[in-house]
Amino acid sequence: MEIMDDLKPEIARLFAAKEQRRRKLAALSFPEKVRAVVRLQEMAAPVLRQRGCNVRVWTLAPPTVAAK
Amino acid sequence: MERTLQVLNELERDGVLGRYAIGGAMGATFYVEPLLTFDLDVFVVLPETAAGLLTLAPLYEALKARGHAEEGECVNIAGTPVQFLPAYNPLLEEALREARETLYEQTPTRVLRAEHLLAICLQTGREKDRQRVRVFREQAELNRDYLSAVLSRHGLETQWKSWTT
Repeated sequence: MEIMDDLKPEIARLFAAKEQRRRKLAALSFPEKVRAVVRLQEMAAPVLRQRGCNVRVWTLAPPTVAAK
Repeated sequence: MERTLQVLNELERDGVLGRYAIGGAMGATFYVEPLLTFDLDVFVVLPETAAGLLTLAPLYEALKARGHAEEGECVNIAGTPVQFLPAYNPLLEEALREARETLYEQTPTRVLRAEHLLAICLQTGREKDRQRVRVFREQAELNRDYLSAVLSRHGLETQWKSWTT
């Protein structure tokens, strides 16, 4: 029980950091989020394909650079 | 993705679609953290056929003529599998009417409002919709008055209460 009590502040800090990261991700621009989704697809696709799911990772054009 | 949206805009301009807006996981991603999805859910108002029917066939034909192939339930438009979902009930019709205009890179597009996406989750009622409602409540900036009005108009207040209390 003592070990659990010692762990609690550390776990709480980890959860708080996780929550903060999720909020930061939620605040990204839409194109940045789409790029993040494609990175998620790249990570998930091999696992899903092994399970027999037919998934396609999206192809994105490089981000447009605004003309000066 | 940008080219995909340009194609959707062309279809709308040419009258193949009445109106479109992004929904589903990508619509939700507009408001919350990025969510894993492999298809782009696009809600559409379809022009009625002469017989008064709503069918996706003319849309699929128009896409095929532009070189975009069907892939199962989706159409591959410029590397993105797009699933078209006709607005089949008053909630979806309203959601499409009131979808917000935005830009993706340089291309104009529309995304369903967060309050409508949440209401659609309540109406659909799957486990993943319940999880999405939780994420919306934690991360999205919701207009509470607007949400209440949507839930009331579409008879979703009981579901909202049961999922949030």
